[in-house]
Amino acid sequence: MKPILAAALAASLIFVRPAEAHHSFAAEFDGDKPVRLVGTITKIEWTNPHSYFYLDVKDSHGNLQNWAVESGNPGALSRRGWTKGDIKFGDTLIVDGYLAKDGSRLIDGRRVKLPDGRIVYGGSAGDGGPGDPSAQKPAGTEEKP
Amino acid sequence: MKALRLWAVLGVAVLASPALVWADAGKAPGAPAKPLEKSELESDFLFADEASAPQGPTPRTADGHPDFSGFWKGSRATKPVGNIGKDLPGFKLPLTPAGEAALKHNLTQTIDPESRCLIGGIPRHDASALPFAIVQNSDHVTFLYMYTYFRTVPFDVRRHEEDPDTRYFGDEIGWWEGDSFVIDTVALKDKNMWIDENGNPQSGAMHVTERWTRPDAGHIHVEATIDDPKFYKRPFTYSRTWLAGKSGSRLLEALCTENNVDLQHLGPGPGGIRADGTRGYDVPPLPENPPPPPDSYDAKPAGKP
Repeated sequence: MKPILAAALAASLIFVRPAEAHHSFAAEFDGDKPVRLVGTITKIEWTNPHSYFYLDVKDSHGNLQNWAVESGNPGALSRRGWTKGDIKFGDTLIVDGYLAKDGSRLIDGRRVKLPDGRIVYGGSAGDGGPGDPSAQKPAGTEEKP
Repeated sequence: MKALRLWAVLGVAVLASPALVWADAGKAPGAPAKPLEKSELESDFLFADEASAPQGPTPRTADGHPDFSGFWKGSRATKPVGNIGKDLPGFKLPLTPAGEAALKHNLTQTIDPESRCLIGGIPRHDASALPFAIVQNSDHVTFLYMYTYFRTVPFDVRRHEEDPDTRYFGDEIGWWEGDSFVIDTVALKDKNMWIDENGNPQSGAMHVTERWTRPDAGHIHVEATIDDPKFYKRPFTYSRTWLAGKSGSRLLEALCTENNVDLQHLGPGPGGIRADGTRGYDVPPLPENPPPPPDSYDAKPAGKP
């Protein structure tokens, strides 16, 4: 098959990977506790039902603490232009999100700045959280009226 | 020259596919890095506008029945998504005292069964925000859902099994009444099921009757009657229309249990219900200026399941 034809055929298929809606944002995260993490990647879990990224983040005393960032699954992230090759161990990520209600070092990564400067929406489709289209009165900078 | 032609073809192709537009954005040679944030991408993934629905007559199978096969997305006109009381005044379900108690239990004591990677079942899948697919042949209709869940409904079958095992999709039988496909469901699980995304209850006594129609090429519609005398004072109805997705759309495998880190962090219930009937609560926008650093909170190690 000629490359052009193969490319056109590939582009004609729309692969729909499972989105999330696997849990309610509100059941896990505290909307009153926004947080910014700036840290280096120590582990990447490119998995379902969510991807996880672990960051070493230096606190104000200079101590390193490892944080987990919950994000969309690989299919959801790739739809937004974030693919596996965009990050690697040791890269620095800037992640804005919301702290887990149970007080764990876990956040919902809602806004992620990749090493190349792109900013990716990291939220989970259908979870009712900020920026999610299934919420009728969505709050959050990600959502347009 | 060949490279130019390839990029030209790819350009046309990706314009027809939003997913690929974004997947390729920033990767074309010389293209500047651009912000890719915006949840309208997710909105397009989950929902479609009425204007996008294909036009044309109802497709039919060789035996003359309407053909429900296709990829189906929620309509943005459906509100509230996820609430089985969508069509009731004030979204208020006619709960019995036992139903009220079961709801309280779900809201305060129960982790969402879907978050535990159990099948949502019927009618919850009819209220879900997620798209689904249908494959129909000469004697059954199969619904394919996200997370590799499915239900297969045989037709024409009008009698349930004598002593059916309880299942998350129950014992489902189907038959045609003109152009309507009727699905009759009993023998649903008596525990570990929510009737919708909002934590409303259902019991093993529930009987669900769905009437599915495809009035034209672009729409599929369900009218469901839900009768659960243990938890609801009277039967109530739920209706919804989905829009046909783009040709070529299909579901891919995914396993909910692959890395379900959430489970150890989830609280009970949906975490709140908004006045508009959707799950969750209104969250202030993320500050454009940097949100507080993690030191602002006394967090503990996330741990692993």
